[in-house]
Amino acid sequence: MDKVWMAPPFGAGEPKEVDATPAVLTPLMVAGWSQCEPPANTQEVTTHVDD
Amino acid sequence: MSTTRLQEVQICFGFGKQTDIATANLVAAMWRLKKLNAQLANPKLNTENDAEEYGKGHEFATTTFKTSWDTGGTLEKYLSAEMASWAMCFGLGKVVKSGSAGNWIYTCTPLIPANGDATELPYFSFVEQIRPGAGSVIDRLMPGCAVEGWTISIGSGPGRANSKINVEFHGSGKLTEPSAITVPAATVEKLLPSASLTLTINGVDYVTSKNIVSLETSWKNNIRMDAGFYPGSNFQTPGDATTGAIRGRLEFGNRAGALKFVARFDHNSTELTLLKAQTTGTAVIHLQFDANNSLDITWQKVAFATAEVGETDQIVTVAVEATPIYDTTNGIITAVAKCNVDAICQ
Repeated sequence: MDKVWMAPPFGAGEPKEVDATPAVLTPLMVAGWSQCEPPANTQEVTTHVDD
Repeated sequence: MSTTRLQEVQICFGFGKQTDIATANLVAAMWRLKKLNAQLANPKLNTENDAEEYGKGHEFATTTFKTSWDTGGTLEKYLSAEMASWAMCFGLGKVVKSGSAGNWIYTCTPLIPANGDATELPYFSFVEQIRPGAGSVIDRLMPGCAVEGWTISIGSGPGRANSKINVEFHGSGKLTEPSAITVPAATVEKLLPSASLTLTINGVDYVTSKNIVSLETSWKNNIRMDAGFYPGSNFQTPGDATTGAIRGRLEFGNRAGALKFVARFDHNSTELTLLKAQTTGTAVIHLQFDANNSLDITWQKVAFATAEVGETDQIVTVAVEATPIYDTTNGIITAVAKCNVDAICQ
């Protein structure tokens, strides 16, 4: 399933990742949510631990 | 004597949106498409004069003043996946892009300012050229254009003319001549033909029943043209008050959607019953070239405003006009357009 990140209206709240279907997107878009870039903390993080 | 045929005219315009009303698209974000109508996007210079001023000794004008500029035009085209995607994105204003290369999906809804959306539509640049260069006939760039509205018309018949779109647009008035744009190669468009239609309105599948004759649906932004001029909206040549004012914003006004259709009418037809009961339901219009190039328009709730029985080619038909109604959850209209062109309205 194709997914997109959406940010809430007026910048109030955290972005969320949702299914990119009209049934999911339409109510969000009408309510003021807009497409946004994925938050930085969703990127893969590799941790190196010293022995 | 040299003559110029209008078929020489080339247009290209932004498939990407401008960063603001004043900053023109780069050519990398523009595409060249063909059109059907001969109308050119002629800029109009509005002037005034001093005829009514006292102190001249007579009632005649002695000088004129450049007041303002109007730009804009109309694109009449066969309906393609590319043009449909562009018209939905720029015409409705709110866009979510998904999908992947070869199958981009643009989900579009109208902007809702009460929920934090902008009151200005996305802007694009429009270029019109005939023999650009040393022998130029016309070569102009008009940045800061916005879609005033679109109309999609579907008819009965096999030809391309049975699936068309008209897009009207207005500009800020800004004009650059020559355009300094090298028009890109023409984009190959994928037709969304009438024969691909699926249509369900208010619970009735009009294609399965083979009853649909024609369909027209439209959206109009009613852009507040006068409000584009405000103190500080600037001039054709920035800072030069003698060059005429241009608009600094194009805000949509009271928007309106419309849906009307003609269908064959028989004993089982429900249009008059639905009209009398003011029954509401969705209207779902689907056209496609293939799985990756299509258009779905959903009017989230409609009620029939009129339903008049008449005839089409001596067959009894009903002409219906539906009123789109705002649904508290899903709004008024959702358009999902698919095509293989990336970054439309991005």
